[in-house]
Amino acid sequence: MARPKTVRAPTTASLPNNLRIPSSTPSLTKSLGKLSRQALLDLAFTWLDDRNVASFPPYLQTNDDGPDDDDALPYPAGKTIEEVRQVYEDLQDRKGAKRELIERILEGDWRHGITLRQLAMADLRYMDDHPASLRWTALELSRIDTKRKNSKGLPPADWSGSVPRMQAATFVQSLQREISPLVKAHYHLAHSATLPLTFLRIFVVDSPYQSPRQAAEIFTDSSRVIYVAFPDSCPYVYTSIAVSTGSKSAPSASSVATDTRTLQRLVRDSIPKALSRPQERFSLQATSLAAKNLPTLLALRGSGRSTASNGAFSIFADAATEGSPLDPRPSNTVSPEEHIRASHSSPTEGKENTNGPATKRRSSGIDTAPLSPDLKKRCLAIHSRFGTLGSSLAPALLDRLDIRLLDKPGSSDEQYDDDGDDSTFTPPALSLTFSGSDVIGGIRKLAELGIVDPERMPSWMTGEEGVSVATVRRGKRLQKDI
Amino acid sequence: MTTMASHAPPSPDPEEEELDTEIASIRAEIQNLQKHKRILTSSLLATDPIQKLLREQPQPPTTNPTDPLTTISPLVHAAGAHTSSNHHRIAFGATAFPFKDPSPTDNGATLLGVRIDVCARNGRFAKPYYVILQKERSRAGPGSGGASSEVLKVYRHTVPSFISIAKLESVYLLRSGVTRNNGDGDGGGSSGEDEDVEPAKPWKKGGNSARKQDLRGFVRELRRELVAWHMRVDAVEFLREKLGLVGEGGGPLPFDVSPDRDTGIVSLAAVAIEARYVRVEWVDGRVGRFKLSNTGVVERAVVIGDQGRDKKVEDAITGGGGRVETVLDRLRVEVLSGSPGL
Repeated sequence: MARPKTVRAPTTASLPNNLRIPSSTPSLTKSLGKLSRQALLDLAFTWLDDRNVASFPPYLQTNDDGPDDDDALPYPAGKTIEEVRQVYEDLQDRKGAKRELIERILEGDWRHGITLRQLAMADLRYMDDHPASLRWTALELSRIDTKRKNSKGLPPADWSGSVPRMQAATFVQSLQREISPLVKAHYHLAHSATLPLTFLRIFVVDSPYQSPRQAAEIFTDSSRVIYVAFPDSCPYVYTSIAVSTGSKSAPSASSVATDTRTLQRLVRDSIPKALSRPQERFSLQATSLAAKNLPTLLALRGSGRSTASNGAFSIFADAATEGSPLDPRPSNTVSPEEHIRASHSSPTEGKENTNGPATKRRSSGIDTAPLSPDLKKRCLAIHSRFGTLGSSLAPALLDRLDIRLLDKPGSSDEQYDDDGDDSTFTPPALSLTFSGSDVIGGIRKLAELGIVDPERMPSWMTGEEGVSVATVRRGKRLQKDI
Repeated sequence: MTTMASHAPPSPDPEEEELDTEIASIRAEIQNLQKHKRILTSSLLATDPIQKLLREQPQPPTTNPTDPLTTISPLVHAAGAHTSSNHHRIAFGATAFPFKDPSPTDNGATLLGVRIDVCARNGRFAKPYYVILQKERSRAGPGSGGASSEVLKVYRHTVPSFISIAKLESVYLLRSGVTRNNGDGDGGGSSGEDEDVEPAKPWKKGGNSARKQDLRGFVRELRRELVAWHMRVDAVEFLREKLGLVGEGGGPLPFDVSPDRDTGIVSLAAVAIEARYVRVEWVDGRVGRFKLSNTGVVERAVVIGDQGRDKKVEDAITGGGGRVETVLDRLRVEVLSGSPGL
């Protein structure tokens, strides 16, 4: 029942949306079990919605079905869609176990199998509910400009052309054209309900056949799934796979494309090609940022204000020091909180403000009245170094920060005047790795406690660069990783 | 109150609760009043008569400490300075300021900040945009004969990333090393308008003429792009308001909206933050999309229904001068003239 008995022939088409995974697959229970009860109910309602029900038909009792083993199953099949819908509405009204709901879905209404699209929807719903469930890498889309030499001194009229205009369907089609000779894939594209992102979920299989003969377990194998997220209006792409852009120089012709890592790499390499158009080619470049949290990526590599000003410069991103030109109060008499909260009407800010109340900022320092001069000075230094970071409206939580220091040990005092001998002497590299739920916030805390000297620490400790991997020499990040 | 509440059993006295909310509301009111008072005092200090009064007595001869004028003069001065900088921000839209990076590894160089203010449709100003420029010493090109000169480089900025700072920089703030002749782009910008940046740019004067960096042109183009973006967003918002798609508080309506009576539009929204494209949906299932230009003209429009493209509506959207503000009027006329679609 699950797989149509048709002639199996290798094709280059994508895996169909309605390819059904047998409901008896144990791992299906697990992947649906990740979701909360409410999320499952929402999904079921979406599937049963008038517009979608043709794509996800539930199992209905029909006359020509014959007397099969319906009675043996605990969930009798409904006769109409309405009836099935009513069942889930009843389930919503009364409290019950999640387990019961999953069984209802798998053994009752979709006993003939869950389609690939349904599974993809469930996965994306999980992503919306848990934005920190995967580790994401930010890549920059940069245009390969071939015309640069020809266009002489002609200032382009359009300064915003760096973002490729993406039409979802066209993009998926050209991506399919790119990778179909190599892998078989299923695509699912959806805009996130909570973040300004478009998710593309790609599931890859290394079989040329329309209905692969592999075990059904393969469809729920999370290592075969690649997520690509396209944030709105900015030239970045986030992928949920580990990236090594330099690996292209070493050709991997020897390996047959069977293991999942190779499949993933094939997909990733074809993303910029699929986005490209004639006369407008793009390539993906690493941006040294990987984080678990999607809001972090949106803050550091998104379309908002904080993409290129962090650390000490976050006061500009949050506009924390100066107010609107219509405010008659001198800026230094108004608290930064008020500046940030002031009802500036920026089109991007409108959405971000829902992230949380601004009242939790500045957890320490400034308002505890009796401060010794030392403490006061340190407090000021911390504020000037970290700006509003670590206490910002949309906090950029780095869960990991890898720093490679190229300085000679003990050379910190004469670090500005030993230019000469550096070229001959290869210094020992020192690697530091910070990890935790909020690395920059943690360093700020350390500075507040007096463990880190806020005036002398280098700027990478303040998160100014907005990266998670950096090579540092003399307190400055080197643009090219050595 | 809070300590009491924490010790209290889970069901606190309703009377006490009432008092608590009352206290909270009174506190909020006090805060509001204090804020109002501060706005009023600063406005008062910045008013013309008081500023004039101060200017008339530049050096008060009496050192009488009880003289009210001497005690408030710093405040008046601060208010005056703030007002004049506000006037600059309102009138010119772009102002410059120095900024010192607190990082110890930065050699104490002063950075040049440029602040751009954009006024939105509701009369408020958007959060100011900043561009922080770094002065970089470089071996200059052929003109200055190998002497080092200072060039500007964008260091940090808060401009949304769909406006390509890198592109702007590569045209207006060209650094040596990038060999690209950009003569005609420069000429108009640096000689012309005085409106952009306050004229403290000594490093510009001495530069060679062939590839002079054009900060004014840079700021002018950047500001133009930012204003255009705000105007696009405002135009979409305006259309939504006209269609009744926006609730009282400015947010979307909680319930399903009924289609606009005359045009049959059920939804109209910008496609992304950039608000370059606008998506329209009609009640009969037609879907359209049009592109806005920087000047507020509908450049292109596509409307697709069940029977393929609806050229009539497309023409109505782009025709008649193409102003985005009057799109709905044109659509109304088109519907009244007897479109078969409705």
